[in-house]
Amino acid sequence: MRMLSRVADRLYWMARYLERAEDTARLTQAYTHLIMDIPEGAEPGWEILVQILDAQPIFGARARAYNEQNVLRFLIADEENFSSISQCIKGARENVRTTRDVLPDEVWENVNELHLYCQEWAEKSVGRRNRHRFLDEVIGRCQMINGLMMSTLCRDHAYRFIKLGALLERADMTTRVIDVGAGALLGDERHHSSVDPLIWASVLQSLSAMGTYRRTVGPLVEVNEVVDFVFLEEALPRSVKFCLNGIRKELLPLKHNREALRVLDRSRRSLSRFHPESSTREELHAFIDAFQANLITLGSVIDETWFSLDKT
Amino acid sequence: MNKSWKSYDTGAFFDELITSTGRPRVVARRAVNLLQSLSQEDMVARREAAELAIKEMGISFTIYSEGKNIDRAWPFDIIPRVITGRDWSKVSRGLVQRTRALNCFIDDIYNKQKILSDGVVPADIVLESGNYKPQCAGISPRYGAWAHICGSDLVRDKDGKFYVLEDNLRVPSGVSYMLENREITKRVLPELFENYSIQPVDDYPSKLYSTLASLSPRERRRPCIVVLTPGIYNSAYFEHAFLAQGMGAELVEGSDLFVDEDDCLYMRTVDGPERVDVVYRRIDDDFLDPEVFREDSALGVPGIMRAWKEGNVAIANAPGSGVADDKVVYAFVPDMIRYYLNEKPALASVKTYLCMHEEDRNYVLANLDKLVVKPANESGGYGLMVGPHATRAERARFARLIEADPRNYIAQPTLSLSTAPTYIDETVAPRHLDLRPFILSGKDTWVTPGGLTRVALVKGSLVVNSSQGGGSKDTWIVEGSR
Repeated sequence: MRMLSRVADRLYWMARYLERAEDTARLTQAYTHLIMDIPEGAEPGWEILVQILDAQPIFGARARAYNEQNVLRFLIADEENFSSISQCIKGARENVRTTRDVLPDEVWENVNELHLYCQEWAEKSVGRRNRHRFLDEVIGRCQMINGLMMSTLCRDHAYRFIKLGALLERADMTTRVIDVGAGALLGDERHHSSVDPLIWASVLQSLSAMGTYRRTVGPLVEVNEVVDFVFLEEALPRSVKFCLNGIRKELLPLKHNREALRVLDRSRRSLSRFHPESSTREELHAFIDAFQANLITLGSVIDETWFSLDKT
Repeated sequence: MNKSWKSYDTGAFFDELITSTGRPRVVARRAVNLLQSLSQEDMVARREAAELAIKEMGISFTIYSEGKNIDRAWPFDIIPRVITGRDWSKVSRGLVQRTRALNCFIDDIYNKQKILSDGVVPADIVLESGNYKPQCAGISPRYGAWAHICGSDLVRDKDGKFYVLEDNLRVPSGVSYMLENREITKRVLPELFENYSIQPVDDYPSKLYSTLASLSPRERRRPCIVVLTPGIYNSAYFEHAFLAQGMGAELVEGSDLFVDEDDCLYMRTVDGPERVDVVYRRIDDDFLDPEVFREDSALGVPGIMRAWKEGNVAIANAPGSGVADDKVVYAFVPDMIRYYLNEKPALASVKTYLCMHEEDRNYVLANLDKLVVKPANESGGYGLMVGPHATRAERARFARLIEADPRNYIAQPTLSLSTAPTYIDETVAPRHLDLRPFILSGKDTWVTPGGLTRVALVKGSLVVNSSQGGGSKDTWIVEGSR
């Protein structure tokens, strides 16, 4: 099957935007629950959500105080933040609009409807009252669109680039979610140690991994086990290891894949050498930073190898 | 009978479905009877179902208005237009003949120019036209076919006779709506199809594919065919995507293509460059190749003309085909048919006065109130004047325009365009319409059964263009009707 570079590029970004919207919704949902569980005074601030997404510069230009209202508006509805949920959905829609000829009709219809839903509800869902329903709806609809593609798409290049986009975005977001956990506790001596398990449980929840964790690791939520599980559990669809393996599987049948595989293997090696139990939280944070930088490199290599229109 | 039909009056016009005595034509009788038996509520429900289907299927066209591109739902009338197979086969033969002559003419103009040296067509009106592209001289595409996809506009006068109004040889559009109209009618009025044998239209994409594939410079089982679109903001983008999908071809933009040092055309794919055999281009000549035509074009492909001239890629329609798509050249088509084919024209053309000729011009200026005046080089119904409907000031303005640039204007008698029952504001009323069939020319020539019927939704109006308030109807060619 032929696939135009431009079409591959748009499919890949459609998948990244959809995944980013879903993951941001999951993160926000889990964090909102967490904040409600933690005793007054011990709760970590809302700014962590912005830090996790490396969005402080854009946020800083938009609002001064990192209060709940400002941060949530920024994550859910802000038109200047290209990673806000509503902008991600808009980006996904633009990409589907110009690739409708290679996707099942229902994909366009559902992405378009999700966009219309966000247009109507994003701004109204910043407050706690509608937030939960909105985030649930976004997560549910993203999952439906993904399910639709998984069950109807021919396993050719179109499918491959959609998977690549989704897995790369998810690997990145999963490391960021762990960073929330680590960051929430980092250098903060005020909290009770009883808060720790709550935070790590919310990390697992945001990854739909709580049940699997209980069954595989055990009922007690401990920091080292959680980090180990989320990084390395091959069977968990949102674990970093799972995403990297999936990326490798999709890269293998592509032509000109040497450079991309080289960068990917760098990530895989660093992951296998990392031992959360013997690391401090600072080391964990530094590891995640380096890991994310390598994923960004992988993204650029994919872009240059398969999407770039400059070279002939 | 549903009362909305009771006051139906065909007036002095030829009506496609109803005779002047108010009875359904034989070919349309069963359809009209069925429609007349539907209650008011039922008609409204069917129309709403059609509107919903259009929305769901995402059938839209884009208009440019107040500095914005607006995506509009396709305006559709649920009452089909019915034509007998016998009438149609005559029209179809005439269209094939006409398209063959037009292709002979284009091929002649860019090669020996015999028709000019023999004085059948005045050389200056061809060679001085902006549609004549000297860059195409000396090329002779396969089968002598230049205008591979032609959309000819037909009208019926008050005696029911078909006339060709114009031939669109550049990038004619509308065929996807012809296909969608049939699809919608099947959905919302399925019982109409009982007891009728209607020629199917939905094999158009495969016919188009065969035509384009026959042009491929390389002998391959599946040549690489692309549809070149100016992009999402073009008014016909929906159609470009529709046809690409229907043919299993790639929908490309200029930046997806490049010409390499071997003068072959390639598209950029994830597996690396892939050679392209045939380009169905939906952008105008002027934007096709910045190396040859407009330098500032970002829509085209630098070097594509080189690749074409070398015979390494086929372009449909061939660059320069527009030389025969000119309202002045139109006047000479009957002469072309006699000259190249030695045949009598099978389809009538409309009497055309060329303002460049003094005698014609004087007649036109003296009879502006009776004539339709058209600029030679506009499409989409822009810049024309319908004399009997024009104000005195408009007529005076056109008189000045004609005198300033006579080459650019032609005039034709105002035809009494035929009408058909159209469902408007819960009543059925006659509205004027035309018909655009599509003629494909490659190794073989083929005509769509029927075509796109466009209808002027405003009472009395003769302007059917969708950009100017026109709608459309499903068009049936019915077999075996007496």
